[in-house]
Amino acid sequence: MRAFVASPEGAVAQLDEEERTVVARMVADVGLLLGAEPFGMAPPVDRDAGLDPEDALAQALSRIAENATDPEDPAVLSLLPHASTEDREVAQEFRRLTEADLRITKVDRLRRIWEDLSDDGPDWLVPYSEALATASALTDIRLVLASRLQLSSDDDGELLRSELATALESGEEPATRAEAERVWLGMLYESLGWLQQSLVDALMEEGGDHV
Amino acid sequence: MSTQEERQREGAVATRVDDVWVTVVWNDPVNLMSYVTYVFRAYFGFSKEVAEARMLEVHRDGRSIVSSGPREKMEVDVQAMHGYGLHATLQRSGE
Repeated sequence: MRAFVASPEGAVAQLDEEERTVVARMVADVGLLLGAEPFGMAPPVDRDAGLDPEDALAQALSRIAENATDPEDPAVLSLLPHASTEDREVAQEFRRLTEADLRITKVDRLRRIWEDLSDDGPDWLVPYSEALATASALTDIRLVLASRLQLSSDDDGELLRSELATALESGEEPATRAEAERVWLGMLYESLGWLQQSLVDALMEEGGDHV
Repeated sequence: MSTQEERQREGAVATRVDDVWVTVVWNDPVNLMSYVTYVFRAYFGFSKEVAEARMLEVHRDGRSIVSSGPREKMEVDVQAMHGYGLHATLQRSGE
């Protein structure tokens, strides 16, 4: 994976085939959580293409969207949070007015990324006019991963980073499948954060006119 | 288009003087500082300095008030923030 860098046409990152598969799979799963129709099954990002089903990463990903129909799923709530924690009437009125539009906004930009990642070749070009929407979609994916990783405070984020560092330094296989999944999802979460950071940097460097 | 006087009268009917609402953005462990700053600049039109100050308030104090006005306008702002993946709420000013 190469981070986004600024180019005249837009921000460009590079993802190899496996990375595209994994990111596209996450994109499609967050779409499912938002109630979208499945994003197609065409290669190279057939939902499970390129992933060994016995692999810890594939196992971890298989659980991302398993509660897709549960409106109280914390991952869905992180995408569509309550607009008031104190006043039910305010929260319900807001949800009634905005939820359908928010779902459409979020699904549309996920679908665009999914289509971009379905193209051949390692380059992922994001025009500056679409960079903020893409960065927002990356936030949505990271919100879902953070929910599955049970990160609810800045300290939890720090703790995850030290867990990952320890796992990488030891070089040993995680003792349990649950630990292996946590390491995989954690690494994916961190990689997407790094990718998002580079996209925002490229946007601020070259796309300042789009603010 | 209404005259200033008519607008004031309509305004007086629609909202009481003290019925000002605010949009609050809350800290979360997910959003990057540079992204939050960028969103504040892009959506609210804040200068880089103001956007960074609000972002740091969110990060350090756990929340920041980013806009104020009638409830309907705050619903629009909160919807936009949720669109960007930030956790925002609305409430009456002073609550």
